[in-house]
Amino acid sequence: MLFSTTSSGLFNILLVYLTTKYMDKKKYYFIALLIVLVILKMNAQFTVSGTVISESGAEPLIGATILEQGTANGTTTDLDGKFVLDVSGPTATISISYVGFSEMIIPIDSRPLIDIVLKESGVLIDQVVVVGYGVQKKSDLTGAVSSLKGEEIQRIPTPNFAQALQGKIAGVYASPPSGKPGESAVIRIRGTGTLNNSNPLYVIDGMITYDADFLNPQDIESIEVLKDASSAAIYGSRGANGVIIITTKSGKKNKNGEITFSAFTGQQQAAKYISLLDGSQFARAYNQLRGQNYFTNPDSLGVGTDWQREVLQTAPIYNAQLGMSGGNESMSYAISGNFFSQDGIMKNTSYERTTVRLNTQFQVNPWMTVGSNAAYASSNSQNGPNVINSAYRMPPVLSAKDANGNFTDPTFYGLALGNPAADQFYKSNNFGKGTSLLGNLFAEIKFLKHFRFRSNYGYDFNKSESKYFEPKFAVSASQLNNNERLSVREGGNNNWIWEQTLSYLNEWEKHSVNVLAGFTAEERTSNEIGASRENFPGTTDELLFLSAGNDTTQMNFGGASEEALNSLLFRTNYTYNDRYLLTASMRVDKSSRFKPDNRTGYFPSIGLGWNASREAFVQKLNIFERLKFKASYGILGNQAIGNRYPTSAVVTSALYAVFGGGESINTGATILSASNPNLKWESSKQSDIGVEAGFLDGRFSLEADWYVRNTFDIIADVPIPDYVGSQNNPFVNTAQVINKGWDLTFNWREARTVTYAFSANISPVSNEVRKLAQGKTEIFSAFINGEPATKTEVGLPIGSFYGFKTDGIFQSTEEIANSPKLGNEKPGDIKYVDTNGDGILDGDDRVNLGSPIPTLTYGFNASFDWKGLDLNIDFFGVSGNKVFNEKETSRFGVYNWEQRVANAWTPEQPSDNEPRVTNGGHNYRVSDRFIEDGSFIRLRNVSLGYTIPASITQKIKITNLRFYISGTNLWTKQKFSGYTPEFPNGSNSFNVGFDGGTYPLAKSIQFGVNAKI
Amino acid sequence: MMRIINNIGLVFMIFIMSACGDEFLDKKPLGQLTSESFFKTETHAIQAVNAVYANFRSWEFCGLPYIGATDVISDDSDKGSSENDGLFLKEIDDFLFDATNQTFSTIWLGHYNSISRANQAIINIPAIDMNEGLKNRLVGEAKFIRAFCYFRLVQWFGEVPLVDKQLADNEYFTQTQSSVQEIYDFVEKDLKDAIASLPEKSEYASPDLGRATKGAAKGILAKLYLLEKKNAEALALCEEIINSNQYQLVPQYNLIFTEANENGTESVFEIGAVALQAAVAGPGATPYNMVQGVRGIPNLGWGFNRPSDDLVAAYEPGDPRRQATVIYVGEILPDGVTQVQDNPDIFNERFNQKAWVPAHAGLQDNGPGNIRILRYADVLLVAAEAANEVGNSAKALEYVNQVRKRARGSNNFILKDLTITNQSDLRTAIRKERRVELALEQHRWFDLKRWGIQSEVFTKLGKNFITGKHELFPLPQTEIDLTTGNLKQNPGY
Repeated sequence: MLFSTTSSGLFNILLVYLTTKYMDKKKYYFIALLIVLVILKMNAQFTVSGTVISESGAEPLIGATILEQGTANGTTTDLDGKFVLDVSGPTATISISYVGFSEMIIPIDSRPLIDIVLKESGVLIDQVVVVGYGVQKKSDLTGAVSSLKGEEIQRIPTPNFAQALQGKIAGVYASPPSGKPGESAVIRIRGTGTLNNSNPLYVIDGMITYDADFLNPQDIESIEVLKDASSAAIYGSRGANGVIIITTKSGKKNKNGEITFSAFTGQQQAAKYISLLDGSQFARAYNQLRGQNYFTNPDSLGVGTDWQREVLQTAPIYNAQLGMSGGNESMSYAISGNFFSQDGIMKNTSYERTTVRLNTQFQVNPWMTVGSNAAYASSNSQNGPNVINSAYRMPPVLSAKDANGNFTDPTFYGLALGNPAADQFYKSNNFGKGTSLLGNLFAEIKFLKHFRFRSNYGYDFNKSESKYFEPKFAVSASQLNNNERLSVREGGNNNWIWEQTLSYLNEWEKHSVNVLAGFTAEERTSNEIGASRENFPGTTDELLFLSAGNDTTQMNFGGASEEALNSLLFRTNYTYNDRYLLTASMRVDKSSRFKPDNRTGYFPSIGLGWNASREAFVQKLNIFERLKFKASYGILGNQAIGNRYPTSAVVTSALYAVFGGGESINTGATILSASNPNLKWESSKQSDIGVEAGFLDGRFSLEADWYVRNTFDIIADVPIPDYVGSQNNPFVNTAQVINKGWDLTFNWREARTVTYAFSANISPVSNEVRKLAQGKTEIFSAFINGEPATKTEVGLPIGSFYGFKTDGIFQSTEEIANSPKLGNEKPGDIKYVDTNGDGILDGDDRVNLGSPIPTLTYGFNASFDWKGLDLNIDFFGVSGNKVFNEKETSRFGVYNWEQRVANAWTPEQPSDNEPRVTNGGHNYRVSDRFIEDGSFIRLRNVSLGYTIPASITQKIKITNLRFYISGTNLWTKQKFSGYTPEFPNGSNSFNVGFDGGTYPLAKSIQFGVNAKI
Repeated sequence: MMRIINNIGLVFMIFIMSACGDEFLDKKPLGQLTSESFFKTETHAIQAVNAVYANFRSWEFCGLPYIGATDVISDDSDKGSSENDGLFLKEIDDFLFDATNQTFSTIWLGHYNSISRANQAIINIPAIDMNEGLKNRLVGEAKFIRAFCYFRLVQWFGEVPLVDKQLADNEYFTQTQSSVQEIYDFVEKDLKDAIASLPEKSEYASPDLGRATKGAAKGILAKLYLLEKKNAEALALCEEIINSNQYQLVPQYNLIFTEANENGTESVFEIGAVALQAAVAGPGATPYNMVQGVRGIPNLGWGFNRPSDDLVAAYEPGDPRRQATVIYVGEILPDGVTQVQDNPDIFNERFNQKAWVPAHAGLQDNGPGNIRILRYADVLLVAAEAANEVGNSAKALEYVNQVRKRARGSNNFILKDLTITNQSDLRTAIRKERRVELALEQHRWFDLKRWGIQSEVFTKLGKNFITGKHELFPLPQTEIDLTTGNLKQNPGY
């Protein structure tokens, strides 16, 4: 005993004094230590522990109930099927129950350790899902939580799990912003709820993070997506866009060591090429543009150079993974190593990553568990220039190199473009390196029968380095480098989080209560430093370090930022008779991003559920295997704007003025950007009503949720007039947006000689702006050629396209004279529609031209298993959205045109839909001419595998051996003319759906092997 | 039991206390001053005013769109460069633009950015505890620049919003236009304040040469008076400058635009620039030289702002200023070695020699040439114009002939002294003199506007000039859209 009853009051006062005195980071170390001490002294009694596993699969059963007979004393098993229970004495009897299994009653007989094997009762097994700060039986959930097993993700050969989520979960839209190697995906849960950053929050083994790119998908045990208020409100100020909880693989106790090996190799290439004019078509269009025969014989030019194929390539992809896991009575472990390598389909781009992970857990004594999860990842990338835009624009009549082998100077045509082949050659000595270490340490202590205290410390360190050397070269006046230059940059993030949670679990008679309370603190800091020098004594690799450069040319820069968050959290789950469910939660967050007056946010939620299938009258119907109704409501927040100091007006320095006979540089500094000290939380009221049902002996199941997300005080950097003289648009609480929709999931599974399963998830969603702040009726954004291409207004989706409607082509000067016009039209020009019918064509005739947000996203999956053969097919699609072909509007010079210009209007060959060839002006006003249908359906993945019969493999001591072939993005049906119609914008919802020239999507075929020993 | 309650109580007390660590949450921007810590010292005051000057060198202030809005749109030059490069300037040259043309939004932004920086200095510096003389001078410099920007804006756009403070977030969208007269009065007041607080050029120490002076403020105010037809006031101000003995003409016209004459005797106000050996766009550079430089190797300029046939024809026979203004193919450049090569993609190319700079550190976008804003010759011509308008032909002749005399140099067969005394004829002669003396220095559009002869000049040239419309630029379409009705577009757009 550390302190006696009589002295404890005084001791407590002392502790409170010390705690208030040291109000800094050290406080958390101190408090945790304190709590451990307090709890240590509360333990006594006889303790029994053990593991509950299923008879058939020898899988640990998570969440099984252990009760001391004749008392209300009980517990549930943890993620490893383990339990520890303090009982009244060594002669007590315990009962073990689990949904879908027959209950067992066992006398303890003084045994401290009892392992229990439960028999299945034939009823559907209840799934256990990971929720914020804990686990719950799926049948007890009142919120909308979707789970995905690791295997589902590992089928897609990508280094990034986010890309593999595409089409997998109802209400979760995952879209890669480009086909760049190693690229992540933009994820939207239940639509775009905000105008700024709509990215969800990631929680990896308890560590809260905004970036999960370092994670090796093969290490994932499960992914849980928290979609509604009841499940996500425990993450308060960051839960509004949904939460993705990732649990990595851990070893199982009392299990023989297992070795897994998997590898695949494949080839990728562009999934699609854009249809552009070929050499002779370009020459004819160019002649039409200039009104003269600049190219005297266009036909002789033939196909010309296909610039897209000039800069793209077929690229290999490799992956190898080795893992080991196992455990004994007191510890378990999982260790894995992974190497992934991907060359980009654009030349001189590549990404490779090595990850190592070690997850361990130790049973220190019957009431204390400690453990850690640690991942180390290092990546290397070559970041050659993205030349897809210049390849798209380069006239096909030019070749990459001339007869002498020199790169062609394309400026002959007045192009302000670099030869993309030359850029790839000269600007690819650009390498990046990333190192990250992310892990957590936790201790869990059980005390006083029903209490658990858990302290979790997470640390996330990552560092990125880049090194770019540009040699001297000269291709043209605008594509040259006079001074060889080496630039290096190093940036790092240090984030820590410490969570203390206390939970109370109790079950008595028909009641079950689970209360959680906790506090967390976290701090995030970033810093970067960079430098450059010119003129090197040589350009071989060993000389390309700053020290070798000319020190009179040196330059450097640096910067740093930090933020912190303090939170209190509370949640209670109450279940009566396994049928009536209540979840209530509250989180209080304080963020350093806001001024003290607006710093604190309160985020409550409540959820109700009814397991109707456990009612006798429903069971009598004999229709439902499972039937549950649920409803939830809550308020969540969002503060994820790309600026850690949105309320501070910062002073920009390095604004130099040149004065004096000596032409010296005079440092200047001032405030360039408007700021908003009154900024406050963005909040979202979310409601959800759902039903889950299982029929036909569990073969068919469905889940349906209807939800409303009402986001208000939305933080956005709304464009402001230039006369304000601000360099940036300040963040303001600007609008209210409503997302309404359905998440529907259907599953069919039949296990016979051929096991087959079908699943579908369908998510219709509508997005509507309800209100704009500051008395504004509209927000313009996405300025193209001097006018806005989106207009956000009440009653329409966010960032709806805006511009002129077109109605064919003017055929004659008479027609122009008799029509409303902008003023400078000639025959062959586009007719814009006088939509308001006032006889005058002007800016007032611009109208809504559709929304970039899909109204429907869906995924289908089919799988078959037959005698060791397995086949898996995934489809993914969206519809109802538009795409703006922005790359076609930008013509600073004579760029190549898209194929449709081959049919351009000429006096000899009039056209009704394709204007005369021009290079700017009238026909390039923002109009529906550049807007295309964004709907598509894609065969995301198809794989065919064969597992060698165990009778053969066991002879060589292999438990499982499978070979497979799989294809990714092999087939897409899309109307859009570009590489892919997906253009998410991770940070600005006003500018979504613009194709400004993106890295093309890749398709690939892989061969692979999985083995288990 | 008591013990348990006590201990549980302790745990929850700790929970509650953890919520009070507010110092932990006070995170300030690192490595940066903020509005709370800035404008506190003399150094801050100097830096804030330097920042106003710094914006002069931005693309928005002096880049290609600015050249378009001054020279290309005038009768002095054509778009230049290759046929299809920079088509938005072709629209400007041909009066086929609308309110979405980037020329207007760019110069608008560039000048309002300067105004915003000047406003901060003017509002915040007075409260700083510092040397009073320096304080007055710095505020005067900022007022000069603010007035200069509004003077340009009002000539380009007519009625514009008169922003003279840092706007609060509920004022961003609600500004309305002030009348032209209100803007004139505002500019006049700022310039008068500047005149009162600024030193003469010679009072600046050498390292500060290039900062706004009393003479510069008087010169700009004289131009405003001329525009307002307050000719006597304009003449008086010019004569104050002339009699201040701060300025004299550079003896050789073709040397005005060399590096040696940056901030030279003829310079009343200019934008300082320097090419430091540094990364692509150096910290002291402007895009001004690049966009007008000879297109192609070795100059690597973009080749915009081609001296027009009409300008070339405007010079009197033998006027050496033509050769000093226009670069032709085959010509040896002023560095004495480089010969201009024919560029096969440009028909009949010519370039602006006044923007030409010799080889320098960095790439072509590291433009080192100071941009001459107000030359003493300009002041003399304003004086001549004002004198003639008040009927004092003697004075007018005296001033205009000083300019001609310098231009002719030692060659007495050309550019003889003017002797016309008829007011109308002398007016024509002074205007012609002004054109050739100041050609391609971005004055012509403002001069045509002041003289009210835009329609006449452009109609004669066969341009698509619409009288009653094209005298003013359209307000940028983005500004009209963003303010939803608070800003009124100019007639005809």
